[in-house]
Amino acid sequence: MPELGGYTGKVLRIDLTKGVSKVTELERVLARAFLGGRGFNAKRLYDEIPPGTDPLGPENNLYFATGPLVGTSFPTASRFNISAKSPQTGILGDTNAGGHFASEMKYAGYDQIVLEGRSGKPVYVHVSDDNVEFRDASHLVGRGVYETDEIIKSDLGDRRVQTAIIGPAAENGVKFAGIFANLMRAAARTGMGSVMASKGVKALVVRGTGSVSVAKPGMFEGLVEEIEDQIRGHEQYWGRRRMGTTRILLMANEAGFLPTRHYNAGTFEHAAEVSGERLAEEFNVKGRGCFACTIPCSRFYVVKSGEHAGLYGEGPEYESQGSFTSRMGNRSLETALKANDLCNRLGLDILTTAESISWVMELHERGMLTSEEVDGLDLSWGNGETILALIGKIARREGFGDLLADGTRVSAERLGRGMDLTMQVKGLDIIMADPRGLKGFGLGYAVASRGGDHLRSEPFLELADDPAIGERMFGVPDATMRLAYRGKGKLVSYFEDWNAVIDALEPCKNIMQNMEILTFDLASKVIEATTGLQMTPAEVRGVGERIINVERAFNVREGIRRKDDTLPRRFREEPLTEGASKGTVFELEPMIDEYYGERGWDLETGIPTAETLRRLGLDRASADLSKI
Amino acid sequence: MKRILVDATQCAGCRVCELACSYSHEGLFSPSLSRVDVVKEDKYGLDYPVYCRQCDECPPADACPVGALSKGDYGATVLDAEACINCGICADVCTYNAVKLDEASRPLICDLCGGDPVCVKKCPTNALTYEESVQVTDRPEGVFRELRERWGIDA
Repeated sequence: MPELGGYTGKVLRIDLTKGVSKVTELERVLARAFLGGRGFNAKRLYDEIPPGTDPLGPENNLYFATGPLVGTSFPTASRFNISAKSPQTGILGDTNAGGHFASEMKYAGYDQIVLEGRSGKPVYVHVSDDNVEFRDASHLVGRGVYETDEIIKSDLGDRRVQTAIIGPAAENGVKFAGIFANLMRAAARTGMGSVMASKGVKALVVRGTGSVSVAKPGMFEGLVEEIEDQIRGHEQYWGRRRMGTTRILLMANEAGFLPTRHYNAGTFEHAAEVSGERLAEEFNVKGRGCFACTIPCSRFYVVKSGEHAGLYGEGPEYESQGSFTSRMGNRSLETALKANDLCNRLGLDILTTAESISWVMELHERGMLTSEEVDGLDLSWGNGETILALIGKIARREGFGDLLADGTRVSAERLGRGMDLTMQVKGLDIIMADPRGLKGFGLGYAVASRGGDHLRSEPFLELADDPAIGERMFGVPDATMRLAYRGKGKLVSYFEDWNAVIDALEPCKNIMQNMEILTFDLASKVIEATTGLQMTPAEVRGVGERIINVERAFNVREGIRRKDDTLPRRFREEPLTEGASKGTVFELEPMIDEYYGERGWDLETGIPTAETLRRLGLDRASADLSKI
Repeated sequence: MKRILVDATQCAGCRVCELACSYSHEGLFSPSLSRVDVVKEDKYGLDYPVYCRQCDECPPADACPVGALSKGDYGATVLDAEACINCGICADVCTYNAVKLDEASRPLICDLCGGDPVCVKKCPTNALTYEESVQVTDRPEGVFRELRERWGIDA
């Protein structure tokens, strides 16, 4: 497929069972219909992984894909998606990370790398341009992410390789283990590290000496300069440089949607102590960035005093910072940094880990779980020793940690208590924004194709609380009022389509979406300049819609229906009693009705109609779903 | 003489310099064709772009068996591509690892873009500047050690 710019035009399929690999050509029709990254992975998952497949069996595939912008100088184009059927949720598994892995994969010559089958012994796979080598990993079994990275680099005598590594949590059978690039770039949602472990693969290592070129260089250069200027001139520029996503915590507290003590409150009295501002002033020593980023927002921190003096690392992001502080009632920022660091080294998803711990603390508070049941740990809110101890126990599946290691939904089943109190949707634990204070976000969690997650939609426009925006964009003023529920179906489907396009092109969503830069109009031009493919803005949005629908079709085939598009009971029935979001509950049913209407999905079942799927060219899915 | 100077406390390791360099010199986005090379230690959050230092004494020029390297404008070491026999000795002897070789063993050396280095213009954090300076003798290992000492980590 050499005629398209941006892409390498090659897919690498690695058969671990036989220890062989082959290169196939990237289908041009796939590029046009799904663009890249998350889109490529979702389409192949649908086509290649039939319903009922065991997520941890050799017949599940693990897909790594990046997008056409990656490897070019397009600002922030550094990301990749990893997808498989999820062992945590049993539906679509998908996760995304930045850093320097994705660009290296492109320079090695691949748009997508697929791990198939299962190796009989532990290996790591070293892909260096055209060479694929299966290397013994028995000396790496049980080792942490940092150690593994160091040993691989020294084994290979090459410090320029990029690694995607699993930690001991994945090897011990934790179902929400992640895959880590550049040590702490976590692709950790939905248990993709657990899938990699099931294949006997400790790491995927890439090194590339090739190049990426674009279809229309003059046009591309002009667009890049325009976008660089937009980024630099943006009102959020310095806040993001200084604090990254940790800038959000105080804003969330002020608006009353900062999940506190397991969503029992929307404000945290110690918010300032655990804020991004404090982190920046007292801990951060240097900024860092992903590949090709012109607004580097990662931060390297050092803890200089106290119990955790000498601790250092990169991050944390808001989800980790908030999850290990207000969510579990912990006021020690240092403990949160230590918890984040432990999760990175052990290879755990911070959100499910933190939700598990917070859930246990609420059960205890309500008298539903005793300390004795949890290995004698002090389960009072925010106990630092308990937080750190439980992380280790989960990663080793030791004591009560074993019960927590399959994710909160299974934990509640096994315990026989507290299912109503698990803050998860479809088995995936929700993030650090209370949906009672952000109704559009909440609808996003309810319908997201990978379970309770904000990154599928993240309709930040409702934060503006400006009815004029809602009226202008969706014809519904309430659509952009955060506590209102009307118009959210329109808002969320728009943002889902937008995010799917960005996840397919693979720049940074924090910048390209949250800062309103890569609109459908601009994306249309960027796609033409980079790849040569000509698409109208409406066709670009259509790619997003196609990705959402193929993901939905995958989930429907696995049994997902309207009843699954819901939120935990607390949000639907109990209003917040304090803060700026008090007094409302989440109006689920009318929002789902409106959303399905926008999507062209059956109101009763939540299954995409045959007409919707055919309009998007998803004929095979249309035929499959008509049999259900 | 003006030189490209690196402030390692500001470098975020984004490698925008590598991309700008390879694109302006080769018309391709390819770090392996860049004249600048960002050395990184993720564990310690450290990044350091390595450039030709425009040394007064240039071992690669002295060692080149065919005299293909010489001092050109702005103090840059200039390659006579026609004379070069792709032996790679220059890369071996450069004290600062600032000479890279491409796949055909062609030396890639910073030419300062005719006195207006594109990497400096594109650096998003202003970690790179182009200004009058004596020769810089820093090496990434030394700079990294110094920063770790300053931060008090594993020093």
